[in-house]
Amino acid sequence: MDFLVGWIAIVPSYATPLLLASLGLIVCERAGILNLGAEGLMAVGAMTGAIAVLSGVDPWAALAAGAAAGTALALLFGIATVVMRADHTLSGLAVVAVGLGLTGVVGRPYMQKTFPGIASLGELFGIERTTALGRSVAVQDPVTLAMPVLVALLWWWLMKSGSGLRLRAVGENPAAADVAGIDIQIAQLGAVLVSGLLCGLAGAYLCVATSHVWVEGMIAARGWVAVALVIFARWNPARALIGALVFGSADALVPRLQAIGADIPVYLAMMLPYLLTLVVLVASSIAGRASGEPSFLGRIYLRQDKH
Amino acid sequence: MTNIASGRTGLTGLAALAAALLASTAAFAFTLDGPPKVAFIYGSAALDGGWNEALEAGRKAVEEQLKLEVAVTENIPEEATKLRAAIDLYVKRGFNIIVGTTYGYSVPMAEAAKAYPNVAFLSASGTENGPNMESFYARTYQGWYLAGVAAGQATKTKKIGILAGFPVSVVNWDINSFALGARSVDPSIETVAVFTNSWWDPVKEGQVAQAILDQNADVLATNLSATSALDVAEKAGVPSIGFQLDMSHAAPKTIQTSVVFRWEKYLVPTIKEIIDGTWQPEEYGAFEGMDAGVVELAPFGPGVSDEAKAKVEAARQAIVAGTLDPFQGPLNKQDGSAAVEAGARLDDGALWSMDYFVQGITGTMPAAQ
Repeated sequence: MDFLVGWIAIVPSYATPLLLASLGLIVCERAGILNLGAEGLMAVGAMTGAIAVLSGVDPWAALAAGAAAGTALALLFGIATVVMRADHTLSGLAVVAVGLGLTGVVGRPYMQKTFPGIASLGELFGIERTTALGRSVAVQDPVTLAMPVLVALLWWWLMKSGSGLRLRAVGENPAAADVAGIDIQIAQLGAVLVSGLLCGLAGAYLCVATSHVWVEGMIAARGWVAVALVIFARWNPARALIGALVFGSADALVPRLQAIGADIPVYLAMMLPYLLTLVVLVASSIAGRASGEPSFLGRIYLRQDKH
Repeated sequence: MTNIASGRTGLTGLAALAAALLASTAAFAFTLDGPPKVAFIYGSAALDGGWNEALEAGRKAVEEQLKLEVAVTENIPEEATKLRAAIDLYVKRGFNIIVGTTYGYSVPMAEAAKAYPNVAFLSASGTENGPNMESFYARTYQGWYLAGVAAGQATKTKKIGILAGFPVSVVNWDINSFALGARSVDPSIETVAVFTNSWWDPVKEGQVAQAILDQNADVLATNLSATSALDVAEKAGVPSIGFQLDMSHAAPKTIQTSVVFRWEKYLVPTIKEIIDGTWQPEEYGAFEGMDAGVVELAPFGPGVSDEAKAKVEAARQAIVAGTLDPFQGPLNKQDGSAAVEAGARLDDGALWSMDYFVQGITGTMPAAQ
């Protein structure tokens, strides 16, 4: 019972950064821009968050700084893909390379310095960890609590609101959207910036809320998991929440099984989230159009072309 | 292709051969053929707050105590071609003592050592040795035994925890020795051990630390470079133990001590021997412990009682004197089978192939599967 409570209580902290990043990617890709740069955007967000806290900034402001840094790098990506109409895949991979390289150089003096982070609910409200319920609530933080609200808002905006519909139209059929009077480039650039904001926030969360220390390469492929989560979620924010919880649970389970000495094949268990990703990718490619992929995703729209 | 290559290296090859012949006549000691010039090559940032930084402290000691200027190159990946390019450049510039700082350098360094027989190579946590190359590591398990003695006295729940990177021998002996140190205080103490399966993921380390505390452990040790596990311990008010460097800055209130490297105790005398022409590389590498001062404990934290300090100090003296060996038999493996017979001690070969947990550890050893 204790095992179950401890496990379930910790899942939100595993799921939150994955969810934040995949929500950003969903907005971006709904507008037709394929974004593989999450790993780099998160890296920049994490480092900036750390530098901010270490420079004496409030941890909450540091989260905002991380989000801003992600947005700035996404702006470069947006200029490349939306304005210059460069290949999305290559530009995304370039963002990863730039993000990882930049943080390695700029962040060096800030490595391995422990700093105060976002306080958990336990610290904020002095919740006793003596009962199972107390412990489960105490380990949460305000960001994890805000996640369901963010998902609901984003889902409503994307699926139900007029401006959400227009954004999706850009990703499905930009020619038609263009004719309908939507400024394609503005819509896409806005969507790209949102992905930078949320991925930067996800990276800063890892650093400022979870590890309380920054080291080079600490995103450790979580950005790529977010990319896969988008496909798992079929570009739907609500399903991304479920996906992040499933991935987070699998990730959180392995060390806990080890800690009770469970006789499990550890390496196989650690593969689970990635195996899951592979299954999702295969299943979605079999499903084809039904996968929910925006029709114009990753393609370059030029007004004079006939589509 | 081979012709071109041999044409280019023919002269140096001949010189090397002549030097090797000369060297072989002058007993087995290695001699430099010029003024000593030392260079350190790091796989990542030198000031990484952990492994590299401990070696960097050793490098500074070499500079100060031997009055040498020691060159540094950082961020050379563990790839044969990249490392070799860095070594070639140093040798061309007249450097003749090269210190590699990561395990992945060992094999390419051994190849370079064959190509440059007049250059001395030292390989931290390496596996290769030769007439002009020596790998070095430290008996970290001795320090971890003492950490266990401290943890065993701090625990009230009789459950302590340790997180580590991968199930390799140099990590397994730390975990086992930690558990044995604690059990020397109270044989009922259980040690929860969890591998993060990463050397470098502070997010996961913090999460694993939480998983261990959820198992009711009330002392937490980290065998990794990052401080996030100690941060978790500090917040939970649980005594903690660090590794590689004094980690007290991450947990000023709850830290007990840290098991630290003092590489200068190896590097300074060894490089001095190389310069003096008396160096003879160990056949199986240098592998020293607390008696040489290569492994130590950092100063105790504020929460450690005088009684606990005295007990740790007594164990420390016994280890230095050689009367106490953490892996003194009889010892059982986790599954109850014998690991060390009564009266026996583990030899170095058995240490380097340690792929099991000892009894008293709760955890999953992937190697056993």
